[in-house]
Amino acid sequence: MIVAKRKPLPEIAANLQSTRKLLIVGCNTCVAICLAGGEKEVAVMGSALHLALRNTNPAIVITQRSIERQCEEEFNAPLAEEIAAHDVVLSMACGVGVQTLAEQFPSAIVYPALNTAFMGRPEERGIWSERCAGCGNCVLDKFGGVCPIARCSKNLLNGPCGGSEQGKCEVDPKNIDCAWQLIYDRLSRIGQLDRLLEVEPPKDWSTSRHGGPRKIVREDMVL
Amino acid sequence: MTEGNKIVLLGCAHSAGEVVADLAARGLALPAHVEWVSVPCGSTIDELLMLRAFESGAGQVMVLACYNGACRSVDGSLWAEKRARAARDLLEEAGIAGWRLQFCNIAPNMAADLPQWIEEFREPVVAEESK
Repeated sequence: MIVAKRKPLPEIAANLQSTRKLLIVGCNTCVAICLAGGEKEVAVMGSALHLALRNTNPAIVITQRSIERQCEEEFNAPLAEEIAAHDVVLSMACGVGVQTLAEQFPSAIVYPALNTAFMGRPEERGIWSERCAGCGNCVLDKFGGVCPIARCSKNLLNGPCGGSEQGKCEVDPKNIDCAWQLIYDRLSRIGQLDRLLEVEPPKDWSTSRHGGPRKIVREDMVL
Repeated sequence: MTEGNKIVLLGCAHSAGEVVADLAARGLALPAHVEWVSVPCGSTIDELLMLRAFESGAGQVMVLACYNGACRSVDGSLWAEKRARAARDLLEEAGIAGWRLQFCNIAPNMAADLPQWIEEFREPVVAEESK
């Protein structure tokens, strides 16, 4: 899932000083799971903005909506009339949702309320951590299901480095596990340690951001 | 909206609720500027409830939950305290002083303490008004 975090309130409020009618739109998928942009967070944002703007823009009218998936136009379509009737749309989706609204409703002013952080998973209640960097060429088969691109601070394909100590990464030994320790432990458990004897060539980053903005086209699904 | 004289007490019915009932039974009603909101457990007091209290005109909000270990729902007071801290941070981001939101642990037999806490909680506001 995509993990995001609310922007600081003053940063959001700074864009709304002259807004008369504000529509806050949440997304009930990834950002709801990471407690950043679901229905509940939209309500909290509405209240917080009323308080933040109480002196500078007390007349602001705030409408709150939350839809299933802001990154797909079909889910946004029912909001067309409301978006047209508001001065500003504050999207509480990830960056994909914000851009989908902006592309779908070209005249609308759409601002983001969240900082999209990474693709990850909930480790436990209230804790999310990165698992995929979207490099476009998955190597999880070689590394026991532990991604050295997303989870090694140095993205090493031939690790570990000298900064691995007691299974922790030198970048932040308290909070970051050494991905290469995890890879070793996992390959050891599944009997594939011999995979580590292979030297990995430099990674071809053309499938990642180095190839420019990416697009996937399935010809069999396009007429 | 907010920073008025009203104090909203958001409290667990099992502890703070008993205190409020005890005070009422003794003929010691809460002051007129204090509004009591009963919830079934401290764990139900979230950021939204606290912000809405300010939004609806409260100048100060006091969150009252059972002592840790005395919560019927086990962790309710811990959740209430954590959420009060988060709400205080958000209030400060919104330009409202964090001291206007206070969290207190309370037990059903503390009827003598609550009026004093309210008085102490109000002191900075009284001091501001008298300037």
